[in-house]
Amino acid sequence: MRKYWQIAKGRMQENTAYSAWYWAGTASAVMRLLIIYFFWQAVYANQTTIQNINLETMLTYIVIAMLLQGFVGGVGNELAENIKDGQVAIELMRPYDMIFKMFAVDIGGKIMYLIQGTIPMLLIAYFFMDISFPKSPETILLFGVSALAGIWIGTFFDFLVGVLAFWTVNVWGVRVLKESLITFFSGALVPITLFPDWLRTITEFLPFQAMVYLPVSIFSGLISGTEAYMALGVQLFWLVSLYVLVRFIWSQAIKQITIFGG
Amino acid sequence: MITVENLKKEYKLVKRDPGLKGAMKSLFNRKYETKHAVKGIDFTIEQGETVGYIGSNGAGKSTTIKMLTGILTPTSGKVTVNGLVPYENRQKNAVNIGAVFGQRTQLFWDIPVRESYNLLKHIYEIPEQEYQETIEMFTEVLNLESLLGIPVRQLSLGQKMRCELAAAFLHRPKVVYLDEPTIGLDIAVKVKIRKFIKEMNQRWGTTVLLTTHDMQDIEEICDRIIIIDGGTILYDGGLDEIKKQFGQKRVIHFELADKEKFELPSALNGQVEVLPNEEETKISLSFDHEAVKSSFVISEMMSMYEIGDLNIADPKIETIVEDLYNKQEQGEEHEKVLANS
Ligand SMILES: Nc1ncnc2c1ncn2[C@@H]1O[C@H](COP(=O)(O)OP(=O)(O)OP(=O)(O)O)[C@@H](O)[C@H]1O
Ligand SMILES: [Mg+2]
Repeated sequence: MRKYWQIAKGRMQENTAYSAWYWAGTASAVMRLLIIYFFWQAVYANQTTIQNINLETMLTYIVIAMLLQGFVGGVGNELAENIKDGQVAIELMRPYDMIFKMFAVDIGGKIMYLIQGTIPMLLIAYFFMDISFPKSPETILLFGVSALAGIWIGTFFDFLVGVLAFWTVNVWGVRVLKESLITFFSGALVPITLFPDWLRTITEFLPFQAMVYLPVSIFSGLISGTEAYMALGVQLFWLVSLYVLVRFIWSQAIKQITIFGG
Repeated sequence: MITVENLKKEYKLVKRDPGLKGAMKSLFNRKYETKHAVKGIDFTIEQGETVGYIGSNGAGKSTTIKMLTGILTPTSGKVTVNGLVPYENRQKNAVNIGAVFGQRTQLFWDIPVRESYNLLKHIYEIPEQEYQETIEMFTEVLNLESLLGIPVRQLSLGQKMRCELAAAFLHRPKVVYLDEPTIGLDIAVKVKIRKFIKEMNQRWGTTVLLTTHDMQDIEEICDRIIIIDGGTILYDGGLDEIKKQFGQKRVIHFELADKEKFELPSALNGQVEVLPNEEETKISLSFDHEAVKSSFVISEMMSMYEIGDLNIADPKIETIVEDLYNKQEQGEEHEKVLANS
């Protein structure tokens, strides 16, 4: 356990190595937040509700979704690079589990992002924007659990796409596809309730909504009560399925690497 | 201890016809080509041995080492390292081995070397005290002091290699594999690195398996060499033995006042060969030192010519190995001719 924590710390250190970029990251995060905030204010200029969602709920949803989306990615990219340039070979000679190691690296990166991106955005949102924070401790707790589940679902999915690099020539294409699928279907742009019915039905069968839409809906009150617990159930399903899939695909990839020589 | 029995590795390559048409064709109908990189080799290496593993480009050295580290799964045959099958117990095996691959870095790119070592300390669960001692010693032997604070990406090749080497030995592994650790380095760094490897071997009894194209590395570090060519082992034995066995040829270079008039003394006829020598005043004689004594050759020469200077060349492992490769090649060609006729 300790070694994985040290690996996470190593990544945190690496991320501070480029200190100019460190603050650029913060600036760009805050920028995006402002843009999205004023955009929705403008959308609501001529109406008080859209599909029964008022401005305050919408802003709450959008801002929290944006904060959460920052954690939904993973280290798939890096894994893909490692596989392509043969660096995995070195990794296979280390006394650790490569998947856990990559997760540790990811956690390190996310802790840095939390400090550099999320916390500044959250402070600005809290003090300067009209968003409503949940009142009941139960909702906060539910959101916490659901957000963590969403983050891990996103991480597993990203890992999965990364390992696919092993079988695909055009890694870049796969990644772009993945990014746009996630942005759209996870509900990071707009709440999925605004989708037309047929699209919503599709979305419900995909893992993406479990990454952002479900936890943020709990936070902003779009989902509550039994529905919230059902949402957690759906997330649990995806969490377990994706993890099993990650393990399986990874073991296949290792088999290939050690037979074909990378 | 390392044991290898009838170890084979075949690579499967997808065969592609050239051009777009070929690419399309290979989508539907994949043809594989098999490359026999290692063709059934055997050897045993005891704890504490220093073994040079040499052979020409593409001979199968790296492939063998990768199988020993567990990175590659053999096609067939047996391999164990300290009782473990590397490709089945990768993580357990990892604790007992260290490795340097000349072209790859295993340090973390963006953080200072010292932090990399610190991370390795945790990854290999090295006790703090042991770690401190090790670092102190490495710093001294490899002159790392000024490098420890610098991120790896800012180091020169030679500086990086010194750091890599320290990383490979940091957890005091039983076995260290070094795949071309001196590639592209200047003499001063090579000397430092050789000294370090030797010292680690003597101090901790670390088994060292080293591949290199620099025979000086072998002469200075290794007690034993294994020569591989085309995936099969040509020679396995002590460094001294190979010199005795194949290096009975001695060469003496004489500096003559007048080379034009040179003729081989009749007493040496049939036993001594005149080698081509570009230099105007020099003549080189080669002979089997079991059959003819050097002193006899010299005295014969001196009685007939005015000798300015002379120089007896040691049998160099380099020339021996070159001879071996050449013999093998000629043998192969010979076989081909036979097969064709
Ligand atoms: N991943 C791979 N896929 C297919 N063939 C490979 C692969 N790796 C090596 N080979 C082939 O196997 C043979 C042995 O290669 P290997 O890398 O073991 O040689 P080597 O002795 O280390 O050579 P060098 O001195 O050039 O490093 C070569 O013919 C090489 O082309
Ligand atoms: Mg090689």
